[in-house]
Amino acid sequence: MNQRDLELLSAYLDGQLNPSDVTRLEARFQSDPQLVSVLNDLRGTRNLLRKLPARRAPRNFTLTRKMVGQNPPLPRAYPIFRLATALATLLFVFSFGLNSFSRFAASQAPAFGMGGGGGGAEDSVAAPYAAEIPATEAPAATEAPSVALAPPASTLFPTQEAANAAQTAESPTLKTGEAPNELNQSQPLTEQQVPANASSPLIPSVWQIGLAIVAVIGLLLMLVSRGLAMNRWR
Amino acid sequence: MNEQALITDAQGGNLDAFNTLVLHYQDSVFNTALRILGDEDQAADAAQEAFISAFKSIKSFRGGSFKGWLMRTVTNACYDELRRQKRRPTTPLEPDTDDGEEMDSPRWLADPGMTPDQKAEADEVEHALQHCLNNLPLEFKTVVVMADIQGLDYTEVSVAIRVPLGTIKSRLARARLRLRECLQGFEELLPASYRLEEGINA
Repeated sequence: MNQRDLELLSAYLDGQLNPSDVTRLEARFQSDPQLVSVLNDLRGTRNLLRKLPARRAPRNFTLTRKMVGQNPPLPRAYPIFRLATALATLLFVFSFGLNSFSRFAASQAPAFGMGGGGGGAEDSVAAPYAAEIPATEAPAATEAPSVALAPPASTLFPTQEAANAAQTAESPTLKTGEAPNELNQSQPLTEQQVPANASSPLIPSVWQIGLAIVAVIGLLLMLVSRGLAMNRWR
Repeated sequence: MNEQALITDAQGGNLDAFNTLVLHYQDSVFNTALRILGDEDQAADAAQEAFISAFKSIKSFRGGSFKGWLMRTVTNACYDELRRQKRRPTTPLEPDTDDGEEMDSPRWLADPGMTPDQKAEADEVEHALQHCLNNLPLEFKTVVVMADIQGLDYTEVSVAIRVPLGTIKSRLARARLRLRECLQGFEELLPASYRLEEGINA
């Protein structure tokens, strides 16, 4: 039994041969009992397969919308709520970051300024030279560190303008001999400015509260509209 | 059931229409998976995957035999499952011989605790056939399950598994012969009505 005959017998069994092949094959059945035997085997096997009991599915395989990743049609305003929520949240976080950064910058600024002004030792060394300087120039030299700090601080924190103005207003009245003492007294004043500057935020709290409210309302609207869409869809 | 209308609705995203088709074909799909995989749990998983995949790709159905198209989907799901099994091999049920080869005889099926009378005829036939099917190469098994168990014609099988008609004829003939050889080992266990002794005119 070759492969060709096997295929012919199998196709014959299924009625897949053309009439001329059928006639030729049936003529061979008369003279070749092995062909008949194999045909019977194939038929028996096929019948057995057809008698194989069909099992019922153990459960229903119906699909849910979740299984196929279907989402409900959302309202047209949904993207607007989403955008508003995202923007408000972003700005809210940004405002916090900006305020924190400005506080940090303000706290760092006096430290740099004091490096030039020096400590007590430097003051004592600088005093004789300061004494030789004319009284009108002395304040400019001695008050330089604190005045140099004032402009950025005053632009950032307008509430300090008055203090700075008062400080600069005092300086021309300093006398030559008083310069070292006045220097020492002016340092604590500069340090006192820092906490006052840090207490006034760059972005007002009202704005931050407003942004938070917009973000929360946007989020609630998103959830409600999505929930309503889901209920309608079901 | 207006199958074509349901298919058209399902192609438009109507899940209820598709689920009606699922209910109609789920037994066929499950049985195909069961005969290819030989395990009920895996077959159920493959059938579920096949229906999910079918819904997602139903727009690609261009007419013809919907059952044949579903059979292709479930066959692909079974191939995926078999590939997964290869990556995570499990211990086969069949015992090995002393030589380490899989025992291909009815002895392993004979449970000494049960008499032949206790075995239902259908169970005996099913066990024997499933054992022989499991020993077939995958490409033979797929063809014989589709043609002889699911009753698809040659053309439908050819379209379903994308193999030329001549190859289907060849695979089916060889699969039947191999099954016959395997089943001869079970002949004594099979009930008289299932014996392989039908005449040419039967």
